[in-house]
Amino acid sequence: MKTLSLIFLAFILPLSATAQDWETPRMPWGDPDLQGSWNSSTLTGLERFDGIEELVVSEEEARRLELIDAGLQGEIDDFPAGDLPVGEVVGGYNSFWFERGNSLLRVRGEPRTSIIIEPENGRIPYTITGWSKYWLTMLKTQKRNNPEEQLLGDRCVVGFGSTGGPPMLPVLYNNNYQFVQTPGQVKILVEMNHAIRTIRLDGERLPEQIRPWLGDSIGHWEGDTLVVETTQFHPQQSLRGAIKHQLYVGLNSKVTERFTRIGEQEIVYEFTVEDDNIYRRPWRGELTFRPSDGQIYEYACHEGNYGLSGMLAGEREQGVGGLRWIYGLITNMPEEVSHKQLSNSRFDN
Amino acid sequence: MERLLTVLLLLASSSMLMAADSYEPPRLANGLPDFNGVWQVLNTANYNLEAHGAQAAMAFREGPVVPVPAKEVVAIGAVGSVPAGLGVVQGGAIPYKRRALAQRDRNRSDWLASDPEIKCYLPGVPRANYMDFGFEIAHNSDALLFSYEYAGAVRNIHLSDPGPAPLDSWMGQSWLGWDGDTMVIETTGFNGQTWLDRSGNYHSDKLKVIERFTLTSAHTMHYEATLEDPTVYTRPWTISMPIYKRVAPDDRLMQFNCVEFVEELMYGHLRKNPLQ
Repeated sequence: MKTLSLIFLAFILPLSATAQDWETPRMPWGDPDLQGSWNSSTLTGLERFDGIEELVVSEEEARRLELIDAGLQGEIDDFPAGDLPVGEVVGGYNSFWFERGNSLLRVRGEPRTSIIIEPENGRIPYTITGWSKYWLTMLKTQKRNNPEEQLLGDRCVVGFGSTGGPPMLPVLYNNNYQFVQTPGQVKILVEMNHAIRTIRLDGERLPEQIRPWLGDSIGHWEGDTLVVETTQFHPQQSLRGAIKHQLYVGLNSKVTERFTRIGEQEIVYEFTVEDDNIYRRPWRGELTFRPSDGQIYEYACHEGNYGLSGMLAGEREQGVGGLRWIYGLITNMPEEVSHKQLSNSRFDN
Repeated sequence: MERLLTVLLLLASSSMLMAADSYEPPRLANGLPDFNGVWQVLNTANYNLEAHGAQAAMAFREGPVVPVPAKEVVAIGAVGSVPAGLGVVQGGAIPYKRRALAQRDRNRSDWLASDPEIKCYLPGVPRANYMDFGFEIAHNSDALLFSYEYAGAVRNIHLSDPGPAPLDSWMGQSWLGWDGDTMVIETTGFNGQTWLDRSGNYHSDKLKVIERFTLTSAHTMHYEATLEDPTVYTRPWTISMPIYKRVAPDDRLMQFNCVEFVEELMYGHLRKNPLQ
């Protein structure tokens, strides 16, 4: 593998040289210009693919994995003939709805097998406390007792998983972000659930009793890099569940993001998540944002949310004390976030 | 009396426009007026665009003497009552077609079950601009974004005519043109499910809104919106009002994600143990 990495360096060096030649465009008041619509879709997951150790793989290996993934597309669309079974998991989306790209994540040209770059194993380093909180919260979503316990995406409160973040992570679809800058702030319109992140530059934190969805973000420029620190997360935004990733971010976690535009077509997005209570150590990830065509369209979720009433009503229909969730736990837990053709183990051969 | 009001309103709006003519607004790098900031109306248009007296509630039931607040809202007393307003419709009344007026009245009497605001649905245009919340305009040479505190609604405004909207939506599709220093925004592509106020005033999916925003001082702008909808109105009609800039130091749009606030209303009956 070391030889491969060396071969790789040969590829990367000319790339970074080009990046250095590129001059960051500026807003009229001098701030670097990050404006526009950007997309972060990728086949690569937050955590490392099972059976693959390296963070960076060769282009050849990347193409092999991309082909395996493309081959699974048919299976995703392969619904059984006839009526769907009653009282069992009936599957979810077919691939028509997906917009997760066709390729592995490439950061500064390197094909990546996870968004997480630290720790080395590409996994979230939960403490026992963090791990228990994650599972207890996830279990509650499966019991369907109360709307407040369901996933945020199912509730249409904010998008699925950590799409609005921070950290802003790609999900199955709608991975579009529009950046708009004014003197003193950067606004990021997150397509999923039309959530706006307002990053106040050199601003002061909100009073501590205010804990907004997507946290309170304060930014500053370090050279041409936008550095954003976010704290004061909403108490119900800890569990970030989606088919593409699942994570638990603590109430008092701190997320630091760095946005650097390294070319016309590329923003490198780096993030660090810290919380002594939830993680054994800070963990870090990297992503690439690429231009997205056109403007962001409306994502109205709550207004047509038949799903949440369907999930709760279905559970009530099965009777008080229905044990479907235990069945779900054994067979397909947790059902909203599992999708075997998209799981991290799909390349494990 | 009505005529007098109309004349007064006309006088008021023309004097405002004159003020606009003489005011030299701050400008963006490309020379266009700079609308950046947090803005908010000071009126009761969201209760009723038309003139209205103060009243006990938005929802009533028959009482032994006069109608009294509906039982769903009686507990909040004076907090649920309605402040009076002179109205913001030029000419006084919305020119409904006969059947449409009957629909408006049904909407009004069925307010609790029908007003999209109660369920925290996206507010539509122009209603978003005159709710009891601020909105922020983020504006530069290459982008124009309206973000609203209520429901986190967003209008992502095209800087040239994008052609017909590809799909209907709650907030519609908006594009920006200029008439001198007046920002002119045309919005179409509505889904017809939004209202204009809490009094049942409404439109269909054929609505076209033309809004005109003119800076009139460091702290005010003049706002007009003309609504065309041949299925509901006999002719286009216009609302106008000043909108004020919020000037408190470090003032900003707060978050009002009301989706979570209506979960008990919308899903409470589906809990494992519904509350009594």
